[in-house]
Order: sequence, then structure tokens, then C-alpha cells
Amino acid sequence: MSAAQMLETLLASETTGDLLVLFHRNPGLIDTLDSIARRIGRTGNAIEEDVRSLVNLGILKTKRIGRSEVLLLDRARDREVLDTIAKHLRNLEGVGKIDNTKF
Amino acid sequence: MTTPSSRTGISGFDQLSSGRVREGGRVRTGITELDEMLHGGFMEGDAVMVAGSAGCGKTTLALQYLVNGVKLGESGVYVTFEEMPDQIYRDAKNLGWDLRKLEEENKFRILCTSPNLLLESEGESLLDESLRDIQPRRIVVDSLSHLAMFVKESELRREAYRLIMHLKTKGISSLLVWESPQMAGGSFSITEVGLSFLVDCIVALKPVEIESSLRKALVVLKMRGSDHDKRLREFQITSTGIKIESAFTNYEGVITGSPRKVASEKFMDLFRGAAEKRK
Repeated sequence: MSAAQMLETLLASETTGDLLVLFHRNPGLIDTLDSIARRIGRTGNAIEEDVRSLVNLGILKTKRIGRSEVLLLDRARDREVLDTIAKHLRNLEGVGKIDNTKF
Repeated sequence: MTTPSSRTGISGFDQLSSGRVREGGRVRTGITELDEMLHGGFMEGDAVMVAGSAGCGKTTLALQYLVNGVKLGESGVYVTFEEMPDQIYRDAKNLGWDLRKLEEENKFRILCTSPNLLLESEGESLLDESLRDIQPRRIVVDSLSHLAMFVKESELRREAYRLIMHLKTKGISSLLVWESPQMAGGSFSITEVGLSFLVDCIVALKPVEIESSLRKALVVLKMRGSDHDKRLREFQITSTGIKIESAFTNYEGVITGSPRKVASEKFMDLFRGAAEKRK
């Protein structure tokens, strides 16, 4: 997945943003979909799709604890994705600067 | 028959190979006066209950126990069910403890989860990853009272026993927070479900009203296998954590929350009053 696609996924919806903020502020959070939804004032159904896209991106990972499936932040992958996006944004900024000097 | 250890997925081999079952030693809290009260600290591997009503300082004491543990070379895990970690980071920072930094150094972990997940008995345990990553010697569960929301009252004691035994098997000294609202009144019952019989040590924190101001008292109610200070000691939450002061020597009935001055002190007050008038 390209950096631009990653960025697009992260900016896809307000819920995705809320989930990102929740997990970045609370990296030790490990809970079920429904409980995580409650922690941002939503329901499991309402956040399911956003969670799936963050899992596909690798920022969140799933794990089985007994009979429950839990979600948690993949700290290493999260850092990797953020670094990729930061680099991408710096490049865009660089391109912008070159364009500005041209005109 | 299902034994507590098999239910938590721990084999006998794991217990032996961990090589961390310790004997005879003490786990220092790092709070000098409390360690003195405990004659050196909690007994290694023991389950300790810190009980008290809201705002008494249970969480502060629990965090201080873990942070001081890191200073003493023992990493720790803090399990929270309700309070979010970002709030805990913030409050700890106000007391001078940078928990995020300790996490980065792999000496500390905050796990925020639901009580039912901590009680899951099949497959990998919720704590396993943290146990592997930082090999904690201390763990705080804040709070055991939340388990009551997820299990029937008749099962609470059994589930709490299973959790305590799981941690003991791993050789981890646990500190379990218990919210006991009834301690605000005259009664001094710790838990209604008999959990106080499961733990090895109980430290009770209690608000005390003296001359129209609210002060805080700490007492070691129980400590298996060791003598301890039985006095009720006053404590304060300072900018650097809990500071234990002298015992409430001039009062009786402190444990009820509404103490009275002892008779000799009342006489002294009368004499002082009379002397003042003469002046």
C-alpha cells in the first residue's frame, strides 16, 4: 500500500480519527470491539468498518483471548505507518517548494 | 478436576522453569514509613489488597508501589478497567512520575481492558504478552471491585482466587485495589463477599473527620506470616506521592471515621483553656 493510500485510509472518516486518537493516547488499550466502541461513545456495529480498515493497514491487530477477539495497537507497525506518511508529506512539501520557486 | 493453575493454562513445567518462586524476602513499597510499618515490605509473591473509599489515595499508592518497584529494579504492570491510561499518565506526571518513559524503557506497562477478558481461562491469557515483554515482578489490578460487575456474586470469590493464584504461580507480587464505600461510615467491613480471606495482606485507607476537616488514615489490617505496625497512621498525598505521618495517638474511634479525643487529652484541653482564661 502506498503512503498516499495509507493517508487516505486514516483520513477516511471521523470514527477512524477517533479510533486513532484513542489508541495513540492509550497504547495499552486491549479490548473487544464493543468495549472499544463504548470508550468513544459509539456502538460496535458503527465502528466495525473503520476498525477493519485499521486492521488491514496493520495499525491495529486482533488477538484471541479465550472466547473473545480483542483489538490492540501494533506499536511497531503504527510507528512504521506514521513514519511512511510523515516522509510522504515531507516529499509533498518539497515538491511544493520547488513548484513555488518556479513560478 | 480443574485446578486453578490448569484453568489459567499454566503447566507445572512452566512453574518450575520460571524459577521465580521466591521465599522469605520482602517487596519494598519504597514508601519508607509504610515499609517500616510492614517490617521491611510486603512478603514476596503475596497478594495484597488496598481497600478504601473513593478519593482515599488507593490509585496513588498503587502507582507509587509500581514506580518505586522500577527504581528498585522490578518492572511492573498496571491493569486498569475504568480509568483510561492517558488520564493515569497525566495524574502520575503531576506526582513526578513519567510513566510513558518507563513504558518506552520496557520497565512498565499499562493495560486497559475489561474485567471479563482478564478472567478468560482458555488459550492465551491477557497478561501473557506483557509478562513476556517486560517480565514484571509486580502487578496492580485496579480494581478488583470491577470483577463483581462481570461475575455472579457467588462466583466472585472463586474467580478472584483463580486470578490471585495465577499471579502467584508466576511469582508476581500483586496489589489488588478494592473500593469499599461502606468504610466511609461506622462499619469497617472490607468486602461483603469474603475476598479479604483470599489475600495475604490488607492495607486499608480511610477518611477521618477531625475538627470539621477531612484527614486520611492508613492501617495494616492483616499480614500473613509477619508482624506489622497495628497503629492507625495519618497520611497525606503530597506533590511526590503518599507521605505517612504519625499515629492518631490522641484520638480514639479513628476507625469509625468520627474519632473522639481520648479522656486525658480532653482534660489537657480543659487545663489549657483555663490557663488561657487566666491570662
